[in-house]
Amino acid sequence: MVLIQLVNGLMEGMTLFLIASGLTLIFGVTRIINFAHGSFYMLGAFLTYELVPLIGPGTLWGFFAAVAVSAAAVSALGILFEMTALRRIYGKDGILQLIVTVALVLIIRDLVRMTWGANSVPVQMPDALMGALVVGDTYFPLFPIAIFAAGLTVVLAMIWVIYFTRAGILLRAGTDDRGMVALLGVNEKLIFTAVFAAGAFLAGLAGGLSAPYGEVNYLLDTTIIVSAFIVCVIGGLGNLYGALAGALVVGVTKAIGVMYFPRLSMVLIFLIMAAVLIARSLGRQGGPAR
Amino acid sequence: MTGQDLKTWRAKVARATVSWRFVVPALAVVLAINWMASTSTSTMMTEIMIMALFASSLNLLMSFGHMVSFGHAAYFGLGAYGFTLAVVRGGVPPELALAVGPLVAALGGLVFGALCVRLTQIYFAMLTLACAQITYTVLFQWYDFTGGDTGITGFMIPRFGLSEKGYATAVLAVVTLCLLALWGIVKSPLGLSIRAVGQDRYRAEALGLGARRVQLVAFVIAAFFAGVAGTLYSVLHGAAFPDYAGLGITLDGLIMVVIGGLNSFAGGIWGAIIYELLATFVSKVIHEWELVLGLILLAICLAAPAGFAGVSARLRAMLGGIR
Repeated sequence: MVLIQLVNGLMEGMTLFLIASGLTLIFGVTRIINFAHGSFYMLGAFLTYELVPLIGPGTLWGFFAAVAVSAAAVSALGILFEMTALRRIYGKDGILQLIVTVALVLIIRDLVRMTWGANSVPVQMPDALMGALVVGDTYFPLFPIAIFAAGLTVVLAMIWVIYFTRAGILLRAGTDDRGMVALLGVNEKLIFTAVFAAGAFLAGLAGGLSAPYGEVNYLLDTTIIVSAFIVCVIGGLGNLYGALAGALVVGVTKAIGVMYFPRLSMVLIFLIMAAVLIARSLGRQGGPAR
Repeated sequence: MTGQDLKTWRAKVARATVSWRFVVPALAVVLAINWMASTSTSTMMTEIMIMALFASSLNLLMSFGHMVSFGHAAYFGLGAYGFTLAVVRGGVPPELALAVGPLVAALGGLVFGALCVRLTQIYFAMLTLACAQITYTVLFQWYDFTGGDTGITGFMIPRFGLSEKGYATAVLAVVTLCLLALWGIVKSPLGLSIRAVGQDRYRAEALGLGARRVQLVAFVIAAFFAGVAGTLYSVLHGAAFPDYAGLGITLDGLIMVVIGGLNSFAGGIWGAIIYELLATFVSKVIHEWELVLGLILLAICLAAPAGFAGVSARLRAMLGGIR
């Protein structure tokens, strides 16, 4: 039982990481905390719900194709938002930046409620992932394992892009010193837009991947963003590996905590966060926000 | 806000005084409306006044301490539940329990604040949000003690049996006193240090101020007044629900401050009035109120970042400057 919850926890941790990494990347370059990141996640889940029956219901490739298309659509929305709204408030008061993304949260939430109603929608799981993996006399559900693997693939791809491609060099340079990158003749605006698009893509991807395994409703945005924030605080904003560690810790603690303290698993996570903060008063490896 | 704006604003805060010429007629108008209007209008006015206090307590942190709390509803909720639980579980007489609510909120502010002020800016915002969500979750899930998601109702006669108009008058008195107290704090030496830390914490520290301690004091004060608001709200409805500590109330407060005008003491009050009126009338016409609100917010942030107070200040300047 503990082992099964461990698998579930790892899956949740992996999706949390996909979201938190997007938050962290966007923050690293633009210094904006995207409060609407949970909304991107939610949109990814709802779009997957719509696309799975269209593309290939029940099939493995149909599911993953639907998730990918959803994530791309969410990413396109992210680009639109970045170019029309965010671009105008870079470097302004941090409160204003937060409120702009909050406005997007409200807009997306009402649009989702208008389109899909207030009740949860069921997202079809691919048939191939319905079963369980039998080890000894324990049945591990296949779906969380597959999602964990898919998430891991994305993480590896992300690491490859960040550390071994030109885009990654620009991203890291932009995080370190935006002004310098611009001085060297790189189109700074393009970097900002690209990073925002990538972050939105990751959030949409996470939403789509975990959609069949939980409740998909219009309240998803705030639940997810709070968890993602906790992950970022534990891991330190702008720190990719910190986010990975934080996400897995939060996911596993939640899943296993539910078994022993069904009512207080969130409190448990809070205690971990408090411990981390007291141990390092600026978050794990995170410097003060500039 | 550009550097120049900030400088003039700082000078303005230092010079500003309560304009009795404005406050006294405003109070008279509120009393007159309350006297003449229907009971439902009185209830709405009561809610506006309570939210004005809540938004102003948040504004103390945001405009003056430059601390963006994303979890201020926690203290609103703690105020409501502190009062309610003292009556229901503690057997405290309701009149006495009125004092318990704000104190519980202040205590919550002390515990969470001690943790949150270790962080700055965006980390601070995220941690306050997390603290509020924990409070919400505990209120929501601890059935045996807090009644869980159904909340606590029917433990007292709403408004202590006062009429809607009577309670509105009582709330007006309490809220006015609290707002004057908040203004007094902003203008006091303590307020000066809160502003100093908010503007430049390193310089303030170099001058010998303990930045974290000042921020913690500000946080506890803000939590206390949010608790007063929560208690008043709980008495108004004779109930307490977990949603009082939820993200919705936090966002309401933040939006009020932004609509009313950041960096202005009156911003919280104007914001509460405008927001509540909009919410009441727009949601009657259009079902998708949040969508409209989101668009309004976007427009304010992109076009008029100083909110209502900023627009009205600009208008006054254009009209030749009354002050």
